[in-house]
Formats: sequence, structure tokens, C-alpha cells
Amino acid sequence: MTWRGRPRRRAVQASSELAVALPSAVALHARPAATFVKTAMRFRSKVSVGVNGKLADAKSILAVLALGATGGTVLRLSAEGEDAPAALDALSACVTGLTE
Amino acid sequence: MVGIVLVSHSYELAHGLAALASQVAGTEVRVEPAGGGPDGTLGTTGDAVRNAISRAECGQGVVVLADLGSSVLTVRHLLEEARSNGHIRLVDAPFVEGAIAAAVMSSAGQDLDDVARAAEEARGASKF
Repeated sequence: MTWRGRPRRRAVQASSELAVALPSAVALHARPAATFVKTAMRFRSKVSVGVNGKLADAKSILAVLALGATGGTVLRLSAEGEDAPAALDALSACVTGLTE
Repeated sequence: MVGIVLVSHSYELAHGLAALASQVAGTEVRVEPAGGGPDGTLGTTGDAVRNAISRAECGQGVVVLADLGSSVLTVRHLLEEARSNGHIRLVDAPFVEGAIAAAVMSSAGQDLDDVARAAEEARGASKF
């Protein structure tokens, strides 16, 4: 079998994804959720957070609260926009540093 | 930061929600309750609302949320009398979700328009 496909073009996409777990004793509720949302709001990129198949706008406190993410849950973060990598870096650091 | 005023027929409801919003958004946002009538009755008074607005105001405007019916009218009358120039904004929003959304937006340094919009958009938010 020969590979006849055209060379794949790599589109320049300003989008990134990563997964990060909440600290085991911290749920994404109340103050920790607000801290998370406020971190996301510092960036221009569209930022989403996924938990167990549910997806929320990371800049909406009500959407983030509705995820009901408990301590230790893996959050799947994705960002789209010019500052997407920086947004994910900041959010990842924010999540691992959350306290009750 | 934009101040938030919570107007309820119930003293406990207004104060409880203010406490919840402050816990979520942080105490740097002024979330001021105005709830209950004279002598512990259910109701809303213009004086309580006026005082709450002045406590909440720190130069960037105030978003006012009301629970139901006559508390809305109380705020409206007050704003008409005061000929408010738009920096005191009564929003049509769900009381609990709107207060939380507004308080968090304010604590993130958003302006009056954004805070008011966040409260109003809370109507479309699913709880789970």
C-alpha cells in the first residue's frame, strides 16, 4: 500500500487543550469557581471547561457552577484565540492552586 | 467596582443571598441587602433600598435586583423620584443566579453594562 495523500497542511490554529485535575479536597463551587472564572476572564480567548461530557463557558460563573465538579475531578480545558496557550497555562496553574 | 443591591420582601432572603454572593465573589464587592418591612414584617421600604444603594455605590454604578412584584415597584418609584441618570440600574433577572453572576462579574472588574448584562443573562442558565 502506498501513501498517496497530499502532504497534510498544518493550519495555524490558535487553539489549545489540556486536562487538569482539581485538588482532591476542592470542589469547583462557590469561591473556587469564582477564582477560576475570573482567571479565564483575564484572556480574550474563548475558554471552555468540560467535565464528564458536560461543557461550560469558563467565563460564566453560573455555567461553571452547574458542572458540579467535585474534588479530584479532571477538567478538560480548551481555549480558542490569540492568547489560548497563555489562558490554559494560567487556568491550569489556577486549578492546581485552588483552595477551599 | 459596581455595587449590587438585593431587594426582597424578606429580610432573611436579602441578607442570606448577600452573604452567599459575597462568599462566592469575595468581600471586596459591595453586595448590600434591602429586605423586609418595618418591625420585621414582610415588605420593602424605599428607605431601606435608598440606604442600600448609597452603601453599594462607589462611583462605578449600582445594579439592583428585586425578588418579586412590589419590591420592583418600590425600586422603580425610588429611581423615578431620584431621576437616576442610569448609573443605578434595576435589572430584570432571576434573584439568586442574577446576584451571583453580577457579583462575580463586578469582582472581576467589569463595568456597569457588563455586570447588568450578566445578571439578565442568568435567566438562560441551567442549574445542572
